[in-house]
Amino acid sequence: MDLKSPISLTDQYETIKPLLAIHGPAEFAPLREKGISEFEKVGIPTSRDEEFKYVPLRALSEDNYSHAYGANVSREAMEATLLGKLDAITITFVNGEHAPEFSSIDALPKGVYVGSIEEAIEGFGDKVLAHIAKIATTDGKLGSTNDDRFIHLNNAFLGEGAFVFVPKGKSIERPIHIQHLHQANEGAFAVYPRILIVLEDGSDAKVVESFSGIEGNVFTNAVSEVYLGKDAILEHTKLQAESLEAIHIGNIAVFQEEGSTYTSNNINFGGKIARHDVNVWIDGEHTETWLNGVNVGLGSQIIDNHTRIDHAKPNCHSFEVYKSILGDQSVGVFNGKIFVYEDAQKTDAKQTNQAILLSGEATMNTKPQLEIFADDVKCTHGATIGQLREDALFYLRARGIPLQEAKALLVYAFAAEVLEKITIHEVKDVLEAKLFDRLGIQTIE
Amino acid sequence: MLEIKNLHAKVEEKTILKGINLTVNPGEVHAIMGPNGSGKSTLASIIAGRADYEVTEGSIELDGKDVLEMDPEERAAEGIFLAFQYPVEIPGVTNTYFLRAALNNIRKHRGEKELSMSDFMKHIKSKVQLMELDNSLLTRSVNEGFSGGEKKRNEIFQMAVLEPKLCVLDETDSGLDVDALKIVANGVNALRGPERGVVVVTHYQRLLNYIVPDFVHILMGGRIVKSGGKELALEVEETGYGNIESEVAAGA
Repeated sequence: MDLKSPISLTDQYETIKPLLAIHGPAEFAPLREKGISEFEKVGIPTSRDEEFKYVPLRALSEDNYSHAYGANVSREAMEATLLGKLDAITITFVNGEHAPEFSSIDALPKGVYVGSIEEAIEGFGDKVLAHIAKIATTDGKLGSTNDDRFIHLNNAFLGEGAFVFVPKGKSIERPIHIQHLHQANEGAFAVYPRILIVLEDGSDAKVVESFSGIEGNVFTNAVSEVYLGKDAILEHTKLQAESLEAIHIGNIAVFQEEGSTYTSNNINFGGKIARHDVNVWIDGEHTETWLNGVNVGLGSQIIDNHTRIDHAKPNCHSFEVYKSILGDQSVGVFNGKIFVYEDAQKTDAKQTNQAILLSGEATMNTKPQLEIFADDVKCTHGATIGQLREDALFYLRARGIPLQEAKALLVYAFAAEVLEKITIHEVKDVLEAKLFDRLGIQTIE
Repeated sequence: MLEIKNLHAKVEEKTILKGINLTVNPGEVHAIMGPNGSGKSTLASIIAGRADYEVTEGSIELDGKDVLEMDPEERAAEGIFLAFQYPVEIPGVTNTYFLRAALNNIRKHRGEKELSMSDFMKHIKSKVQLMELDNSLLTRSVNEGFSGGEKKRNEIFQMAVLEPKLCVLDETDSGLDVDALKIVANGVNALRGPERGVVVVTHYQRLLNYIVPDFVHILMGGRIVKSGGKELALEVEETGYGNIESEVAAGA
């Protein structure tokens, strides 16, 4: 057995544990215990760990992180974040602490819950306990490199978090915004956001998760669990716009019942290092799964996306498009796993991964990984890594558009194709404007 | 307005243009005809600034300014417009956004104010009608999913919107049926005027029935071998390029 030197993320755990116990029910205690012990068995991954080979996480062992809880964030600072003014049912967390003053949860339709997990226990306790820490796991699933260590770490800090519940047959038009504001102005902070979204049979909702870094070196270890009942429909947009000093490790785990439709729009703009997993377990027939991703890396950012879709039942469709724009010395990673289980005949799975490299020093590592154990399926994957099309650049320039603007326009168009899929217009417009802004100031070779 | 002198150009190691001389004055329409591989499209591309070619000798001037020193966008801003033989599809960029960016960059270069969205829409409305285009085309991505005819009409539409000094049409007639050909010709004719020069590059005489040129030049083997009035185009149509080739050979 290795002797691991203590790391700041967990060496104060015994002191923090009683504080965690204040939030959430007694049933969370064994989940926390399991989380910390499983995490401590493996610790922080190194490049030798297959699932983390491109993300250097040494800082997590070396930096001195305090456990974050709350901060003084002004309304102006909140509103200055990308989605800070979004017209939505909003629940806000500041450095992991529920901030009712920045939340607006009024006039919810009957039976709907949007709020903290802590407050949900009374009234919705059974709904929370039925799903929490049960969806985000690869236990018993195919795959030889399954690695849940950051889910375990998040479980270790289980307590405060957001819960969204939509009862049977209910449609919510207004977007639900789960907003995380991170401000580390007194040294490095670690924060463990937790989200549980439960849509019962035949319900329909749009949820936006945002992670905005106001300043500083933050380690965010987020886990979102999504349960979709029969024929439920969820559009789930996540914007990761942490500070450029931050490390963000996020995991979205989804469980789909028969006939449900899940759409993930996963946008990564921020972070010094961003690692994001979307794992979808398909448990019923005739489901649809749409995984869309847009990543913009500049400077020395590292953006690593892993997706996995477990087609465990027949007659299901999944469509995946991940695009990355990488400039300067940034690094992109895409690992797309699709498992088609023995019973999952008539699976139709399509995976596309494209990257544009804006500089000679940017790199993209892409690995589609399809493991198919059924014989009557349609699975395709395609990956392209390239520069901008010369013919298109010349065409734009020949009409008077200067080189820099022409490049920015083509790069924008490349990503806009994915952003277009966000049906909340305000979110789409803000992200498109931000994309333009980021690319417009970019010095392209 | 356009002055090309002794222009030599090569692509990779192959010499394509071997001493082109051509002067286009304001108000004139010049047709450049020639068989496949004679260098006509190369000439059009070099005027617009395509980087695939290397000019080894000679000069191109527009109103006394050295065109070869300019980037493509600068040439466009100075008033050169190339209607592409193969218009490029640009998914994700709408026609309207693209044209407005183009027009405003050109206006900026000229020291004029940028057009607001509503002024811009007013400006393009009549041009849409002129080219008999469907309004929906404006909100579609540039050339994406357009038919061959729509792409060519879109080129002339852009030309009408940008109102260049010098219009260069590179085989705009290729792949067009007669109806589309007439619409394209109408668009070009509407732009003819005392301030503007037009260079029509074509393989066939057909387009020149509708856009009647003041001068016709025959390009062969990288040189202009014969120049004349509009009747020269008819002569080519009747006797073919082979005849002119032997005529030139006999003369030499």
